[in-house]
Amino acid sequence: MTSASADKLSDKIVVSGFRHFFETEDGPVQATGHIDLVIRGGEFVTLVGPSGCGKTTLLKALAGFIRPTEGTLTCDGKPIRGPGRERGVVFQELAILPWRTVRRNIGHGLEIARVPRAEREEKVARLIGLMGLAGFEDRYPHELSGGMRQRVAVARTWAADPDVILMDEPFAAVDAMTRLTLQEELGRLCAATQKTVFFITHSVDEAVFLGDRVLVMTRRPGTIKAVIDVPRRAAGGRDWESFTTDPEMQSIAERVLKLVRAERGASQAEESRAALEATA
Amino acid sequence: MSVLTVPTGRPRHKVRLLNRLAWFLVPAAPFLIVLALWALAGEIFKPSRQTLPPIGDVVAAIYELAVSGQLATNVAASLYRLLLGSLLGLVTGVIGGFIVGLNRKIAETLNPVVVFFNAISGIVWLPLMITWLGIGTALAVFLIWNTVFFIVFQNTALGVQLVSEVYEQGVRSLGGSRWETLRSVTLPGALPYILTGMRTGLGFGWRALIAAELVGAASGLGTMIFDAAEFHRSDIIIAGCLIIGTISIAMDRWLLLPIERRTVQRWGLVADAEKER
Repeated sequence: MTSASADKLSDKIVVSGFRHFFETEDGPVQATGHIDLVIRGGEFVTLVGPSGCGKTTLLKALAGFIRPTEGTLTCDGKPIRGPGRERGVVFQELAILPWRTVRRNIGHGLEIARVPRAEREEKVARLIGLMGLAGFEDRYPHELSGGMRQRVAVARTWAADPDVILMDEPFAAVDAMTRLTLQEELGRLCAATQKTVFFITHSVDEAVFLGDRVLVMTRRPGTIKAVIDVPRRAAGGRDWESFTTDPEMQSIAERVLKLVRAERGASQAEESRAALEATA
Repeated sequence: MSVLTVPTGRPRHKVRLLNRLAWFLVPAAPFLIVLALWALAGEIFKPSRQTLPPIGDVVAAIYELAVSGQLATNVAASLYRLLLGSLLGLVTGVIGGFIVGLNRKIAETLNPVVVFFNAISGIVWLPLMITWLGIGTALAVFLIWNTVFFIVFQNTALGVQLVSEVYEQGVRSLGGSRWETLRSVTLPGALPYILTGMRTGLGFGWRALIAAELVGAASGLGTMIFDAAEFHRSDIIIAGCLIIGTISIAMDRWLLLPIERRTVQRWGLVADAEKER
């Protein structure tokens, strides 16, 4: 990590007493347990947990897409009341617009902010270069590979220059090799731009590789079970080769894996017990 | 076309030319079959000219109509009504479809009245409307609007409802307003359905137009056909049908398909028939 500035130490995102229920026809269903969380400026926080634990619910509440049943969420001390420019989102499913070219997708946020054309084009060009999209500026998303589309999605969010970036399993749908490259690129991008990132995943390696801090969530209704700090020695030095050969990183990954597996095992045991009871 | 297209034996522009030619000629085959059956029926059943005129008579009728200037006058009158009625139907249908597609409560409130009026066809309106609007353009335009509106309206409402929420959330997170999401997400997202509504609507618009002109106009292709019926001129009736169908195809190919190709096909929202081959 680079030297901590005053901004980096401040609390960027504060979640206190968060709980969420979904309304269904059979009454409310609890999506998450009680969650308290602080994300500091410039921090890269990853959240890992079993599927259905409520990770995405928490992210959606931070993005302002849903109103929490209980608790308060703030960004820079201001309550989150809806989606906003200061909180960018990279979605798991493809959210870039099929009817806009790569260039126009990436520049969309700047267009909305009425950034003058010349400045907009310069910023977009820089991100296109940074994300390895050169030569594809005028392509439509359906003409790109899955990995490239996700690059466009990341670039689009970065171009709008939000303070906080919320990412919901953004690389889950791309192939394994591409995913490794995208993770490294994201690591570099974050080191270069010092953004505050909240990143959801169900991959332990991804969580430890990218995060300054890894949060482990329990099974549904999820609460935060453990917080693991990941020390970084070299500034921005995130590549898979050194990650897999670093014994310290590997031991952290093992610890996280154990915590996650305990949850997954518990939820599976519960499911099979319920299934047995149902058949009995 | 993908950059990774495997090179074929023939140069690409030649393949393209052949494809274009095929695109033009293959759909003509069913028409040739119908013409052949028509000629064959004439040979076998020897019908009277009034029952089924020979192809030559119909061609001669078209020539006569064209030379006398009747054809141009009638086509112009019909096209004017059709375009005016369709445009009105399109604009009101898209606006209505957006309002209903975006708001479940309004949709539920309006659904019965839409179903009610949708069931009342143009023919039912005709006797009432003749007394209200008189004979002429207003009547035809109303009947076309009545047809096009419901088709475009229902397609648009469906299209608006089917636009993925995640696109809207993405644009909102970029700082986009509600208006921005309407403009940059909902409208292009619903476009495949709006275009389908337009294509279907225009076809049914023709039907409404001719129905209106049969009784409620002093000029137009419908009037021409109706007058021909009084004089038992089957050749002119069939000539009228051929002209309606031909204009309809021309509008589809040179007006609506190019719009589709430049938008929803270019964006990969619907399959491109040419690319598949």
